[in-house]
Amino acid sequence: MYRREFLSYAAGIVTLPAVIDFQHRSRIELLDLEENCCLRESVAGYTAVLAELGFASRRSVLIVPAAARIPETAMRRMVTAMQAGGIVILESGAGFANEQDLRAHRDTLRDCFAVRLNAPVQLWPRRTPYVDFTWPFATKLRDFSRVIPLDQPTDQTIGWVDGRPVALKRQAGRGTFIFLGSPLGPVLWAGDVDAKRWLLDVVRS
Amino acid sequence: MKKAIGDNMIPREWGFERGLELIKKAGYNGIELWLGDVPWFQMATSDSDVRELRRKVENAGLVVSNVSTGLHWAAPLSARDPAARAQATRIVERQIETAVMLGTDAVLVVAGLVTEEVPYNEVYQRCLEALKPLGDKAARAGVKIGCENCNSEQRFLISPREFSQFLNDVGSPAVGIHLDVGNIHDTGFAEQWIELHGPRITRIHLKDVLKHRGRCGDQSVYTNLFLGDNNWPAIRAALTKVRYDGWLVAEMEARYRYAPDQQFYDTAQAIDRFISGRL
Repeated sequence: MYRREFLSYAAGIVTLPAVIDFQHRSRIELLDLEENCCLRESVAGYTAVLAELGFASRRSVLIVPAAARIPETAMRRMVTAMQAGGIVILESGAGFANEQDLRAHRDTLRDCFAVRLNAPVQLWPRRTPYVDFTWPFATKLRDFSRVIPLDQPTDQTIGWVDGRPVALKRQAGRGTFIFLGSPLGPVLWAGDVDAKRWLLDVVRS
Repeated sequence: MKKAIGDNMIPREWGFERGLELIKKAGYNGIELWLGDVPWFQMATSDSDVRELRRKVENAGLVVSNVSTGLHWAAPLSARDPAARAQATRIVERQIETAVMLGTDAVLVVAGLVTEEVPYNEVYQRCLEALKPLGDKAARAGVKIGCENCNSEQRFLISPREFSQFLNDVGSPAVGIHLDVGNIHDTGFAEQWIELHGPRITRIHLKDVLKHRGRCGDQSVYTNLFLGDNNWPAIRAALTKVRYDGWLVAEMEARYRYAPDQQFYDTAQAIDRFISGRL
């Protein structure tokens, strides 16, 4: 697939209604980007929690932990999942990426998902160590020191850090795209029960 | 038991060789080398230069008691940034490598650092994940990693049972505790730590502590042997009870303002007195 073809394919999926019904047996999948995943703890965190959950969700869920550069094959997987009416959780790890990968990450998010990101922010020192989520329920989850904020708040914003929007939920046809600019996986890995509850609710949504 | 003192106590203007002479003359058996804390022993120091350090130590009639480092305060194994963690791991690996070259079998590691930013559970998990493979590496090299109890400064593994559970979770016979009897402050009693950890103690750091000062003031809580609040007869008895017969390494924070060499002599005599049990 050439870049132009891929981009138009991706853009179409994001903006047009999905045409594929829900699967009867929904699956929760992790997409490990390996060398393009900045935080291995994030993969470990989601893996541990999802293994513990051990149930099929109502919808298919694809989780991409701590992404830096996002390869085209991964983009295709995400687009296909949303096209099928599933939930895609893209967790950015780009706050820990090198400059080139960070630039590629931001370009991909802008070009393929129309998500514009600001430069990474080093949070500490700060007064409270939390990200405030407003969806699927209001809760405070631990920050992970660096965030990639969205360029501006919208009615799709679901997470805030010190007044900055850092997470969004967007309908993509029948699918749902969730972007996390503050890594949650390492918090899950450390055994945070609230983070686990948050993920569980999202997976069930 | 054998006496040692850290090379980070040597006045900077003296240099390594003159420091070794002083340490030998003061009656010590060995020297603790601090990777990264002294100009002559850095991460960039080559293998041949490390061997040269050993030659100088042995020429002075001493041996290396262990390899310590303060580098993990800036780059802890518990760092969130994978790059900082990789650096922390490399520091421990270099300690192990140099310990072998220097003819000793123990390294000191400040395992993790709890901060407002990096919470306890993360630090615990990350230290476990780091120390398991490092324990394997140490075991293959015939070296023991002693995690130091820097209770107040680390805000981590504050009680002896908690520390013991941590070592159980690491599960490596090559990972134990480098027990500092001055670091327990008012959260416990050094003799109880000794009793509880017994055979897992890799080395003992000696200093005294002024428990009433706490850590909130601007004065150091640490002082020279017998000037503080440690119960030295109880500590000595506990070492006998657990049959500890290894190195006693002097680690003084407060240095003499005048005649810095005098501190080496005074500390050596105090350790002799401590070993003899005339307390």
